[in-house]
Parts: sequence; C-alpha cells; structure tokens
Amino acid sequence: MAATSSSVRESRDSTVQSGDLVLLRIPNGDIKGVKVEKDTTVTIGRLGSFYANELIDQPYGLTYEMVDKRLKVVPPRTIQEVEDTDATNELINDGEFVQPLTIDEIQKLKVSGVHVSDIIKKQIEQHANYSLKTEYSKEKYKKRKEEKYSKSFTTIEPTLYNVCDYWFNKDKTRIRDIRADSLSQMLNLANIRPGGRYIAVDDASGLVVAGILDRMGGEGRLLTICDTDSPPPYPVTANMNFKPHVTSNVLVSLNWATAEEDYTPIIPPSDIPEDQIRSERQKSRLNKRKAVTDLLSNTRDELFYGEFDSLIVASEYDPWSILEKLSPYVAGSGSIVVHSPHIQILSDLQTQMRGASQYLCPNITESFLRRYQVLPGRTHPTMVTSGTGGFVLHAIKIYDDPNASKVIFDRRKPKKPKADQATEQHVTSGSDSPLKEDTSIENTADTIMLDVGSQKVQ
Amino acid sequence: MWSTAREIAAGDLVILWLTREALQPLVITPGKDFNSKFGHYRHADLVGIPYGSKVASRKGKGFIHVLRPTPELWTMALPHRTQILYLADIAFITSHLNIKPGSRVIEAGTGSGSFSHSVARTVGSAGHLWSYEFHEVRAGKAREEFARHGMNDIVTLTHRNVCREGFTVTDTVDSVFLDLPAPWEAVEHAKQALRKDRTTRICCFSPCMEQVLRTVNALNDAGFTEITMYETLLRPLDVSHVPVLTPIGEISEKLKQAERKREDKRLKQIAAGRQQSASKRKREDGTRMDDQSPEAAEDSTAVERKRIKTDEESAGVPLDVLPEPVQVMDLDGPEDFDAPVAPSGRSPVPVSTAKISVSKVMSEVRGHTSYLTFASLQPFSPPPPETESLTAAVTPADVES
Ligand SMILES: C[S@@+](CC[C@H](N)C(=O)[O-])C[C@H]1O[C@@H](n2cnc3c(N)ncnc32)[C@H](O)[C@@H]1O
Repeated sequence: MAATSSSVRESRDSTVQSGDLVLLRIPNGDIKGVKVEKDTTVTIGRLGSFYANELIDQPYGLTYEMVDKRLKVVPPRTIQEVEDTDATNELINDGEFVQPLTIDEIQKLKVSGVHVSDIIKKQIEQHANYSLKTEYSKEKYKKRKEEKYSKSFTTIEPTLYNVCDYWFNKDKTRIRDIRADSLSQMLNLANIRPGGRYIAVDDASGLVVAGILDRMGGEGRLLTICDTDSPPPYPVTANMNFKPHVTSNVLVSLNWATAEEDYTPIIPPSDIPEDQIRSERQKSRLNKRKAVTDLLSNTRDELFYGEFDSLIVASEYDPWSILEKLSPYVAGSGSIVVHSPHIQILSDLQTQMRGASQYLCPNITESFLRRYQVLPGRTHPTMVTSGTGGFVLHAIKIYDDPNASKVIFDRRKPKKPKADQATEQHVTSGSDSPLKEDTSIENTADTIMLDVGSQKVQ
Repeated sequence: MWSTAREIAAGDLVILWLTREALQPLVITPGKDFNSKFGHYRHADLVGIPYGSKVASRKGKGFIHVLRPTPELWTMALPHRTQILYLADIAFITSHLNIKPGSRVIEAGTGSGSFSHSVARTVGSAGHLWSYEFHEVRAGKAREEFARHGMNDIVTLTHRNVCREGFTVTDTVDSVFLDLPAPWEAVEHAKQALRKDRTTRICCFSPCMEQVLRTVNALNDAGFTEITMYETLLRPLDVSHVPVLTPIGEISEKLKQAERKREDKRLKQIAAGRQQSASKRKREDGTRMDDQSPEAAEDSTAVERKRIKTDEESAGVPLDVLPEPVQVMDLDGPEDFDAPVAPSGRSPVPVSTAKISVSKVMSEVRGHTSYLTFASLQPFSPPPPETESLTAAVTPADVES
C-alpha cells in the first residue's frame, strides 16, 4: 500500500512556514528559538545568519551549514560522527595521537571471542595514553573541530516532547517543573483525545494547554480558568506553531471570578437601540463588545452545565480550593489530574480528597526518567540527569452511595462463617479511623478492605 | 471507541472497580448476574445509572464502582495474554514518538493490546494503527477485542511474522513501535514502512541491554540517527495522615515524671519498711533503729513530703493548659518543677489533635520494565558514499567515557 495523500487536517505544517517560531540546535548543543519571517534575514546570535526563505517549506529535523547566508543541507550524523564531534571534554586527534581501536578492530576482537568488557578495558588503556597528552594539543583539536561545525545548525521539530524538553532545560520553574514524561502521563491519565471536553488550570506558561490542544487535534472543548482579567497568552503554545483551527474552535477561558456561578460579571451594555447608535465606529465597537459578552455567557453556561471528561490542574494556587470549585463540573468516571513540583502540596490534597466522597482512590506518583548514552562499547546512563519532573495526583470522580457498606475480609480465618460475620460488622466511618487512614492497608497481608475512598456521610 | 453517554446502556463495556488491585471488564448483559466476594449485582440494575456510580450489593455488604473504560483502566483490567506495557512506558513512548490525532503508527507485536488501545485513543479516527502479531491465537483474540471495542476503523490487525515478512504498508507511517524479542530483525522493514517526506521515529522496547546494543547497531546501519535510550518508572507514594510529631520536650517531661514516680514509690516503700521494722522491733523488744543512716532517712522523708504536697496542688490542672517545656525551664527550684505536671495516673503528654500528611515512596516498587531505544529517520535523500562504511575510528574520546 502506498502512502495515502495527507487528507488529515494536521495540527501544524510538516514544514517550516513563514511566521513560525523555530527551535534550532547549534553546534555547542544550545537550543535557540528564532522567528522565521518571509523575506527577512535570520540571525542566530554570533553563529551567523541566513535568508529566512531558505528555511521556509523545508521539513524539520535537517542540519544545515550557513554559506553566504544560504543554507546547504548536510547529511544526518551517524553514531561514529556523533562520537567524534560531541567529544568536547577530552578530545583525541586521530592524526596526532595513537590511533585507538577502529570498528574493524573491535569487530575482529568480537569475532575472536573477546568479551565486551575486555574491549572496553582495551579502549580505556588507549584512553589513558590520551590523557597524557598536553592540554594545549587537546585545545587545538577542540578548536579545529568546533570551527568545522560552527556554521551549522539543526532544526528541531516542534513536537510536544521537544517543546517541553526545550522549556524544561531553559526555565523549568516557568513550567512548574513539568518534565516531558510527567506531562505525557498527565495527558494519558486525563484521557485526552479528539472530541473530548476538558477543564484545565494552567499556571505553567501554557505547557499543559499546549499538550491538551496537541492531543485534541482541533476537535472538542478545552475550557481554561485563569487568574487574569483577559485570557492569558500561554506562551508555550507559540512554540507549537499550531494551525488556527487547533486553538480557535477549541480553547475558551474564564477567570476565577467569572467561573463563579453566583457572580454576575459586570459588563457594559452592548444592546443599544439602533437609533441611538451614532457612528459606524461605535457600531463595530458595540458588535465586538456583544461578541465578547456572548462568548463569556456561553462559556459560563458551558462550564456550569458540567459533564467534562477531565480536570487537569498545574497551578500555583491551593489545589483543594480549585477542586472544590471545579470538580462538580467533571462527569462521573472522569479523571482529575493535579501536578505539583511539591510533594507536600499533593500529600495534603490527597488527605483532603480521601475525606470527600466523590473521589475514587486518589494516588500520587513521581516519574523517574533516566537517559542513556548509547555508543559502541560505552553505553551507560548519562552522568547528569534530571532530578524530578514533579508529582502527579490522579483520582476518578464518582457518585457516592452513602448507604453502601464495605466488606472486610480477614484472610486468616476465611472459612469460618461466624468469624466472617463478625468482621463484616466492622464498618469504618469517619476520617479518623485507623483503617481508613492508611489506604495501603488493603495491600497488606491480612486484610483486604473494599473501597479505599469510602466515606462517612457528611 | 467506547460509550461516551452519561448513563450505562445494555451492551456497554464497563470497568468494575472492586479494589485498586482488582479491576474487571464487564459487558452489560441484562439477564446476567455479577457475583463475587464483593457482592451480588444484576446487570439489569446497572443499566441507566450514570458512569462512575458506586453501587451497593443487592444483599449483604459490599459495593463496586462502575466506571467508563479508558485505555488506562483497560490496561489495569485487561485479560493478560502476554506481558504488557503500563502507563509510564506507554505515555513516554507516545510522547517521544509524537503520536497524536491523525498519526499513522505501526506496532509489533500486538500482544495483549495494552499499547494498542492507548494509541488508538490518541490517534483518533483521523489516524491509524497497523498492529502485527505472529501468534495466531493472540492475533485472533486481539482482533475480536478491537472489534468489540469499536476500533475497527482505527486499527488494522495482521497475523504475520514481521521479522520475516515485514509490514503491509510502505512509505506510510509516522512512527513504529517494536515490542518483540528481536527488534533488530525488523528495523529494515520498519524503515520501508516509514514515510520519507518528514522526520519519522522508531522505538524499540527491550528488557535486556544486549538486545539494546544489537538494536542500536541495526538502527545505525539502516541510517537512523539521534539514537538515544531511556528508562522510565513510576514511583508511587504512600501518604498517611498522622498526628503532629511530638517534640522531645514532652518526652523528657514524661521521663522525669516517671522518674519521680519511681522515686516516690521507693521512698514510700522505705517509709513503709521503716515503720514495719520499727513496729517489729518494738514488738521484738528492740528500741533502737540504726539499720539506716539518720540523714538519709530524714532527706527522703523531706522530699517525699514535698512531692506529695505538690502533687496535691497540681491535681486538677487541665491537660491542655500545660505550659510548654521551655517555660518549665524558666522556673527554678525542684518544687516548682513539679507544678506543670499532670496529676498522676493520667498521661503527662498533652494529646494533640492536630494532624499532618506525610508521604513516602512505597516500599516495593517496580525496578525495571524495559529500555526504550529511540531513533529518528530524517527526510534526507542523497546518501553520501562515506556513510556506508564503518571505517571511522571509534575514538574513546567522548563527553563521558
Ligand atoms: C510482550 S508482547 C507485546 C505486548 C504489547 N506491547 C502490549 O502492551 O500488550 C510481544 C508480542 O510480540 C509477538 N511477536 C514476537 N515476535 C514477533 C514477530 N516476529 N512478528 C510478530 N509478532 C511477534 C509475540 O507473540 C507477543 O505477543
């Protein structure tokens, strides 16, 4: 089967377009964001500059060399080349030093049955030779290599992963420590899909909003609640280069005041009788105002109608107060996902949620992520790794039945009906019950208790 | 894929949440019953109630939660035919491979379909998943499942050995996910299936490092670049709500009080003993009592008197108005030292009702799932001749050796 033509409405162009914000990786490993505007010259710091038109309509992911402001595509680097050029700490020059093991030699060693660890040892011996060389010659080598590559850059495709990674490395506090792996878990846990309806509170510069929009593909509703008068710009979304339909039909916003049911927003009148309108300008201003007013009231109606699929929170504000306000609008069986850089915030939140009847099994996880360098003979975890990508709390919204009572099993005496009867009487109530306190009790050897989140009637 | 209606209808697939560890899929079939140690339920009784309801057993104790299926719940409830992928890996792979609405994806093998359901949800009806499984029975079961879950327009399942026969599409997909014992054998086939007009990506999921190394070589030979490898895990945290931690001042008070009590007891015993022996001596006609030093006897009686007195004085001091230990330190004289202590027989430590939430990592966590090897294929056409050969030196020089 051949590739069917791209009938899919994609969330962004697969090539660089005029007006795009493009991320570039430069030879020293830094990532720069540049605006690519038709008929202009793009300058990458002191590295060089090029005509924007050279990049427009190019696919992402390629490496270019800048030659007289024009771009020359260079082939993607194989592992051998990566090895050679990423070597910035300790460098060895094939021409100046003892030639270390070549691939051929390694192959021969492998074929002759030499163990991998011995090959590595052999390489380290060569390495020791190298470390005896003068700093000066190392520096010289380094300069030469850097010069060779200094005029080049690679475009980075603005996938959600890459954009998140870029922000995480650049300024993680602005995205509230949400690392790409944590973000992906949040999106999966919140069951984000095209056509879904979601509420989000994003004080993470729009990273969460960008992720949700990316996974909605221009279908459904994302209602965000913000702390500003007018909708926030969500700067991370700019890096995604979304086509307009991804955002325009999907994203609407309220703020913490207009999201209150019993608050009546103060809106200047827009319904002025025709005969009182004096000018075209006034008319268009009134029309605009009317559109804003209508949008506000429709959005409020939509929120208050509820039945949203999930609520996703990455906020600087008290999460319990956010849940109290917004979880009534989440449908039964919907997901509640809260991210925080701080475990204390989520521990307290979980305790509070356990005392409320509408949350099933709130649980907290922290994601661990480890990256490995994969080079022949030297595959190992990278020395520097990100310590944390924050914590994620997940719970399922449920409709309680206060009359339901739990069963307590005692595995030690399962066969005695009388004992069973007795234990079944054990109905815990109230949040101070020791059994209730520790949800992990249901994992322990002796007791299985049903309904971790079950509740006293309030 | 699954019902989006508010209420449960006959024929719906629901997920029964029995406990955190026990989730079970159920197709609502009026006329049938669901009986378990968690109670007795009629399917018919579940029809018409909203998703997310807690439902009490018809008789006796017990209840269940009836949930709307999501790929995440399905992963926890599905019938295992193989080892499966879980949330952390699925989410990370989805993100790194840039799987989103409209994406075209290949996976092999299908296994138990845990990854398949998540991908199908994410790519939506505008995207497509080609899934391959060489085990006939598993392929059949997965095909049935996909059909039952309304995924036929999103997923195409093919029964074949992809290492030998490759994939059914060419220059089509955005990404390939390989969860097989020998992914390196499928790398060339994967390259053919990937589209060439943009960056495409591959992920190989292998539990062993040896597999990773072979895969990396195969990827490199096939012209994939940006080869990297990750490991991801979830650390679940256990939160408990516990009383605020006791300051050691309270403990020292307790100890001091115990000490005093012991001393009181000792002195009382001495006094009693003395009385006893005195009367005994009297009875036995002895008039002197010199088996104890007079000073010591006097001292202890003095202390005892004081203690008894202060105990009486402090009786009735309510527990919650006890001063802080630091205030105690300001006072001088051993007598006063007694003042803040609670009457004997009651706990000297004030019972604090304040509680705090504390969290720790659960004691047993998954230590390793698999290594995730990623690579990408760039839309670069003319392969320069030098990249074919591997004669370039493997220099030991690197960022980290
Ligand atoms: C670990 S399971 C996949 C689990 C799956 N990712 C999930 O999440 O449920 C691996 C599957 O690959 C299948 N398999 C192994 N080698 C294969 C091959 N060469 N072609 C097709 N399927 C293969 C096996 O039969 C098995 O069902």
